[in-house]
Amino acid sequence: MATRNLGPERPESIPFYRNVKIIGTLVQIVFVLLVGFGIYILYDNVTTRLTTSNLPADFSFLDERAGVPIGETTIPYTTNDSYWRALLVGILNTLNVAVIGIILTSILGVVIGVMRLSTNWLLRQIATVYVEVIRNTPLAVQLIFWYYAVLLAVPPRVSNPIELPGNIFFSQVGIAFPWLFPSYNFSLWLPWLVVAAILFGGLFVYRRTQIERSERSGRAWTWPLVVALAVAGLGYGVASWQSSLPEAIDAEFLADRGRGTIFLDRNGDGKFGDGERGLARAVATVAVAQGQLSTTSQDLTESGEVVYGTFRFAILEEHEYSSASVDFVDPSAAEELSLHFLRGPSIGTVYRDRNNNGVYDPGEELRDTAEGASPSGFSGIRLTLSVTDFERRVVSSRDGSFRVPIFTVAGAEDDSTTGGGTGGGLGGLFGPPGGTDDAESALDTSVTHQVALPLVLSVPTIPRSDYVGGVRLSEAFLALLFGLVIYTASFIAEIVRGGIQAVPNGQREAANALGLGSYQTFSLIVFPQAVRIILPPMISQYLNLTKNSSLAILVTFADFFQISNIIANQTGAAVPMYLIIIVGYLIISLTFAFILNIVNERMALVER
Amino acid sequence: MALARKPPPAYSGVLGWLRANLFSSWFNSLVTVVVAALVAWTLFGLFAWTFGSATWTQVWNNLKLFAVYRYPEALLWRPLLVVGLLMGLLGLSVFATEEGIARILRGTFWQIIGLILVLSAVAFVASWGVRWMWLFASALSLGAYAWGRTRPALLQQIGWLWIGGLLVSVLLLYGIPGVHSGPLEVVSVREWGGFMLTFVLTTGIVVSFPLGVALALGRRGNLPIIKYFSVSLIELVRGAPLITWLFIASLMVPLLLDVGPDAISPLAKAYVAITLFSTAYMAENVRGGLQSVPKGQAEAARALGLSGWQTTRLIVLPQALKAVIPAIVGQAIGLFKDTSLVFVVGLFDLFNVHNIVAQQQSSLEVTGGIRLELSLFLAVLYFFFAYRMSLASRQLEDQLGVGTR
Repeated sequence: MATRNLGPERPESIPFYRNVKIIGTLVQIVFVLLVGFGIYILYDNVTTRLTTSNLPADFSFLDERAGVPIGETTIPYTTNDSYWRALLVGILNTLNVAVIGIILTSILGVVIGVMRLSTNWLLRQIATVYVEVIRNTPLAVQLIFWYYAVLLAVPPRVSNPIELPGNIFFSQVGIAFPWLFPSYNFSLWLPWLVVAAILFGGLFVYRRTQIERSERSGRAWTWPLVVALAVAGLGYGVASWQSSLPEAIDAEFLADRGRGTIFLDRNGDGKFGDGERGLARAVATVAVAQGQLSTTSQDLTESGEVVYGTFRFAILEEHEYSSASVDFVDPSAAEELSLHFLRGPSIGTVYRDRNNNGVYDPGEELRDTAEGASPSGFSGIRLTLSVTDFERRVVSSRDGSFRVPIFTVAGAEDDSTTGGGTGGGLGGLFGPPGGTDDAESALDTSVTHQVALPLVLSVPTIPRSDYVGGVRLSEAFLALLFGLVIYTASFIAEIVRGGIQAVPNGQREAANALGLGSYQTFSLIVFPQAVRIILPPMISQYLNLTKNSSLAILVTFADFFQISNIIANQTGAAVPMYLIIIVGYLIISLTFAFILNIVNERMALVER
Repeated sequence: MALARKPPPAYSGVLGWLRANLFSSWFNSLVTVVVAALVAWTLFGLFAWTFGSATWTQVWNNLKLFAVYRYPEALLWRPLLVVGLLMGLLGLSVFATEEGIARILRGTFWQIIGLILVLSAVAFVASWGVRWMWLFASALSLGAYAWGRTRPALLQQIGWLWIGGLLVSVLLLYGIPGVHSGPLEVVSVREWGGFMLTFVLTTGIVVSFPLGVALALGRRGNLPIIKYFSVSLIELVRGAPLITWLFIASLMVPLLLDVGPDAISPLAKAYVAITLFSTAYMAENVRGGLQSVPKGQAEAARALGLSGWQTTRLIVLPQALKAVIPAIVGQAIGLFKDTSLVFVVGLFDLFNVHNIVAQQQSSLEVTGGIRLELSLFLAVLYFFFAYRMSLASRQLEDQLGVGTR
């Protein structure tokens, strides 16, 4: 039998090549060397490439003039602004779509999730089909469906928008609705708002401690909210009463271009310029005593169908003028053709009364395009819309500008397509209250300033080919929003369903035993417990929505990613721009992770 | 005297089912009627549109573009042979796995075979140039399935068969490197596209698997430098959306390797980005599996004298990976959908081909355009495969009993 020698010559320590700690350290050193060497080679390659091809490798180019036109901005932006500003616009656009999207997708997701648990078989099946179909189709496909197949194809052109009650317009260029904006008199109301907010905060804390001390149930925010709203409301009344016109307020109105600017005339020369800035959200009434609009009838494709012989003037509401009439420019056309009006005097159809019954019948439209062919352009009948006593309330935009339809002198022969013409000349420049124009222009226009309340209501109008005033959401924005909301909701629905199902049945039974109704059981017992389970995965879905908003590139919406990409292409500064993109998205991810941690902490069950 | 009372409403039988599920209260009845009317109206509208006013000519005429993009017409037998080969392998696998998994594979196999048979019939009737090849692909798949039923000894080696099959598939699609004429000539990856490319890109999940496992082990390990390297790589990649990585790959890969912007094919760039992205998510999935393995397992293994590496390889990883198979299938679905983003590097996958078709002259002449037809066509195609995978994932979950033990 062999015995192993366990004598003292056996080494006390493990040899270094078998020591886990030493091997680990060695492995890590080798790893660091390898990775470092790899990174060095790649870095060297990039820098040599950048220097040989003379591309920017730092961030100094960001201060230069961007020159990137951006359709939708939440802050003032012109192409003269710097790249920094353009990037900021992109970030705000991304946040805008993310915040609205998160709110809407939560609502839709919860509704679908609850539907999946409905006692109604049909609702349950519909919710299941929704979830399965939406989840298993790429977001990219859904986005192009919403953008190209629905929002660009189905709504009518902006010249003939769908109008919903409350001055909401919907057309191919998007949706526009009225909105309240803070005016130059907002500062009168601001102190009241601050006081109201402080009151709310103070009273809330007071009420909460009171409720906690008395160990009763109750809502701490009800009374403080009523008080704060009352103070704010009272303040609004006082501020409205105090509101006044700034002394130096003036307006420059170019009637032949249909636009003007409200500004503060600091140097008193009555002209806009010399570093003067437009006055945002100022209210005025623009009046044209007598003028005319011109258009040409045409065939066009609208909502997937060919519309024949249609004419579209700028849309005038009935209360904006005292009389209006549409006439043919060519007298011979007037003998053969008639007009059929669809929306006031602004929109209608030119038709030939073939059966001589005196009214328009389908099929009688004037057709320049052969049946089945796509319309190819302007070749219709010229028409004029003559208006007397036109008056429109305008609210200046962020840069102080406002727009109205382009009127020309009534009865004047106008051959130019831009609507200006030689006879119309330059529009007058008027200060309050009205004024007289020089003899050159026969177009009698005036701008009357009105005192703006702290909040002014801006209503969208369509003076030319886009909405002016109110808030406008473009088709691209809507498509991105629809796509993201509907896609993410399918995931949230599953989270909500799982969360509600995870609440033990005993809780429901106990609630029933206590005499709670089914609604009370759900809202007071089941839902609060389900929220604990639902919220953490829901937050990661919010992060997904935000990251997925980078697919805006498919619908040409100017988000952070798209603008960064344009800048990278324009300047050739791919490396710095992609660093910015990655850091930007990392910040977003880390913010969500931070929120998630807080939520997890607050949601954790306090166990005794 | 006892009054005769009405019997309680029945909740069994057809009427009972209707009462319980659709008309349990007046409110529920109202909801049912309104919703049923809406559903009927929508379905009728969709039906009428699909078979009435929709213009499917462009989709029909461009099916080859959607399938393989610019892959040479004369060599179409090669991708079709790959279809037959892979389906044959799937058919064989049905008989090489244990009963539960085999059932899932069988279901998948028959559904895809159904699709292939339909396509074969269409190809035959429409007398496409490849109609015999379609039949051959179907015959190959079915033949392999029939052969598998006899349980040949070869089934023991199913893993090697798959590896060999995938290699042969790559060679078939690409051709023999260096050969520039004849039936096996090289087809440049710039000619690849359509659904074939979507499928090729989705295989990135296979490549990302070992990388993801390595990263997950690195993250769970106790070597601090490797751990923080893994953590930062995973979080960095997951932090930004895939579309940014695709853009970065298309611009940065040539810079990093110090070559001209066109020296590397867009497919290679996209593959790098997709694999990198997929690896980071794979690592997180695998980490979840590693965390689900009870600590006692590793401790018991160490007590038996297994080394650290043996413990990981033989004890921890098999249990961890089994637990995350459904999650990995879920990730594969995500990747399959995300391949639609490769339009940013200029690839024409199934999704991007629709842009070409929508802008063809004949499409533009259709009043209202054909975007609706195209997006529905794409949606149906993507849905078929993604839903098939998600069904398999759910069945796997039940089969493996994840969360029930």
